Amino acid sequence: MNTNLAAETAGNAVSGSGRRLPQELNIFFILIAIALIFEVLGWIFAGQSFLLNPQRLTIMILQVSVIGIISVGVTQVIITGGIDLSSGSVVGMTAMIAAGFAQSSTWARAIYPSLTDLPAIVPIATGLIIGVLAGLINGALIAYTRIPPFIATLGMMVSARGISKWYTKGQPVSGLTEQFNFIGSSVAPVVVFLVVALIFHIALRYTRYGKFTYAIGANVQAARVSGINVEAHLLKVYAIAGLLAGLAGVVTAARAQTAQSGMGVMYELDAIAAAVIGGTSLSGGVGRITGTVIGTIILGVMTSGFTFLRVDAYYQEVIKGMIIVAAVVVDVYRQKARRKV
Amino acid sequence: MKKFFASAAIAATLMTGTAHAETIGVAMSLFDDNWLTGLRTSMEDYGKTLDGVKIVTEDGQGDIAKQQSQVDNFIASGVDAIIIMLVDADSGAAISKTAAAAGVPLIFVNNAPSNVDSLPDKQAFVGSNEEQAGTLETQTICKMLGGKGKAVIMQGQLGTTGQRGRTKATHDVLATPECKGIEIVEEQTANWMRTPALDLMSNWLSAGLEFDAVIANNDEMALGAIQSLKAAGRSMDSVAIGGVDATADALQALEAGDLDVTVFQNAVGQGKGAVDAALKIVKGEPIEKKNYIPFELVTKENLAQYKK
Repeated sequence: MNTNLAAETAGNAVSGSGRRLPQELNIFFILIAIALIFEVLGWIFAGQSFLLNPQRLTIMILQVSVIGIISVGVTQVIITGGIDLSSGSVVGMTAMIAAGFAQSSTWARAIYPSLTDLPAIVPIATGLIIGVLAGLINGALIAYTRIPPFIATLGMMVSARGISKWYTKGQPVSGLTEQFNFIGSSVAPVVVFLVVALIFHIALRYTRYGKFTYAIGANVQAARVSGINVEAHLLKVYAIAGLLAGLAGVVTAARAQTAQSGMGVMYELDAIAAAVIGGTSLSGGVGRITGTVIGTIILGVMTSGFTFLRVDAYYQEVIKGMIIVAAVVVDVYRQKARRKV
Repeated sequence: MKKFFASAAIAATLMTGTAHAETIGVAMSLFDDNWLTGLRTSMEDYGKTLDGVKIVTEDGQGDIAKQQSQVDNFIASGVDAIIIMLVDADSGAAISKTAAAAGVPLIFVNNAPSNVDSLPDKQAFVGSNEEQAGTLETQTICKMLGGKGKAVIMQGQLGTTGQRGRTKATHDVLATPECKGIEIVEEQTANWMRTPALDLMSNWLSAGLEFDAVIANNDEMALGAIQSLKAAGRSMDSVAIGGVDATADALQALEAGDLDVTVFQNAVGQGKGAVDAALKIVKGEPIEKKNYIPFELVTKENLAQYKK
């Protein structure tokens, strides 16, 4: 196994040399800048601090935790040079199916009346398995039929949404057990998000799994020649993305204390946005989980900031779109400038 | 008149003779919405009870263009009548024209088309007046607050008929002499859904926003607000919360004393009314152009009759 090559191609991402600053530091400064802008505007227009408010700091991350969990998986997919459009729909599908096994016997209209009050591990495991299955189908289609990831996951996006609507004919699944709801209560989603991020940060930076992932994204031919089983590895990466989308579905249902077939609509785009803001390159081979975490938090800070400043809802989306593009443009220029030096 | 009855009788005998006499195409705006699902299933269930009536449904997925082509497809496949829940009121006029040109009976359900006052032959509207929901909800909240205080409004997805109508009604009620002591301190969208409402309310609370009432465009958002307020330790007695739809989850919250008011929009009444209207037109019977099924106010007092 030519580990030299893997290490070399991963060099973009693993910048332990100290010769240049880690890329996500840029993104971190952008996060700080956005937060400071809201801080200043807060004192001017709202007469209070934006940041010195523990409750607000929590909600900033809490409201994007689910996006963050998905984004950790999507980041890995994008690093391999792929894309995953199915994650939002997989969230809806797993939320519906998992919640069906999480209903309390006190709820009159359980979809499986004989399967109520099950321990929370049953719905959680169900959700994760469904997520992995969706990911495996994505991965198998991409690795073995060679159709573009965009198409394979687009198909899954449409089908999984169809399943989430068909499963109960559109009816919501409510009356979930306290035990199940715990995973979505208080700051539990934040904990899940950060633990997931930490695990895959380590996996990408310090394990062979990570080296292969970067190698495939940087140059798939070179990766193949150096002995990496590209197909098997892609299957793994998409299965992990599916697993995390499944986990996000479980957390979403637990947080809302209900599952609805429309859950997760457009989440895939927010997750991709978080990864890209965080410095993951859509052309593959470049990206880090730390960047994605910061990218995710930027989305959360913007949502809270707009509400804080009472920006009219009609303008929020317009401004959000501009900030996403601006963040990436600034980063591209900074990287160009650095390369010239 | 005699002639009419005679022909109707002949038509009736003809119909009972064939295996499936009428196929009704139902074009829904959206499948993944609780209330709309209730409307859709009520039409499907009612159709099953009628001999020889076959109902086929399509999901417009909130897309005007998609819905228009679904109507075209229904017409091309030769359905006997079309029932449509419009994605948007303003797209109704064009669809009305298409159906009229093809001579296919068309019933608008729930969402009135912009040309509701000048519908051509073989077309009718069955539904409720969106604004009435916001009016009933806001009047109750106003009474609970005694006509003064501070209120926040949670809007549905911006640009949708429900969001526009209900929000306008809320504003109108709060402008009346009895209720103008109530100040709207915040107004934002939470896209009809629970989690965004939960986050929106948490953001408001973190800004130290003070209010006595939450007026939400639907129940799901009211429930999200309740979850957030409870997590923040706010007593449910200190805030009046209103929603619209009377979903099962909302009735549960109403019973628990968390939600104070919701408005029942009669999905079964509208669905049944639409199917009946379509069949009447097919059989050539006369029909009202506009058929209103009223909204009904639901509070703790009359809760029992809405719980299934």
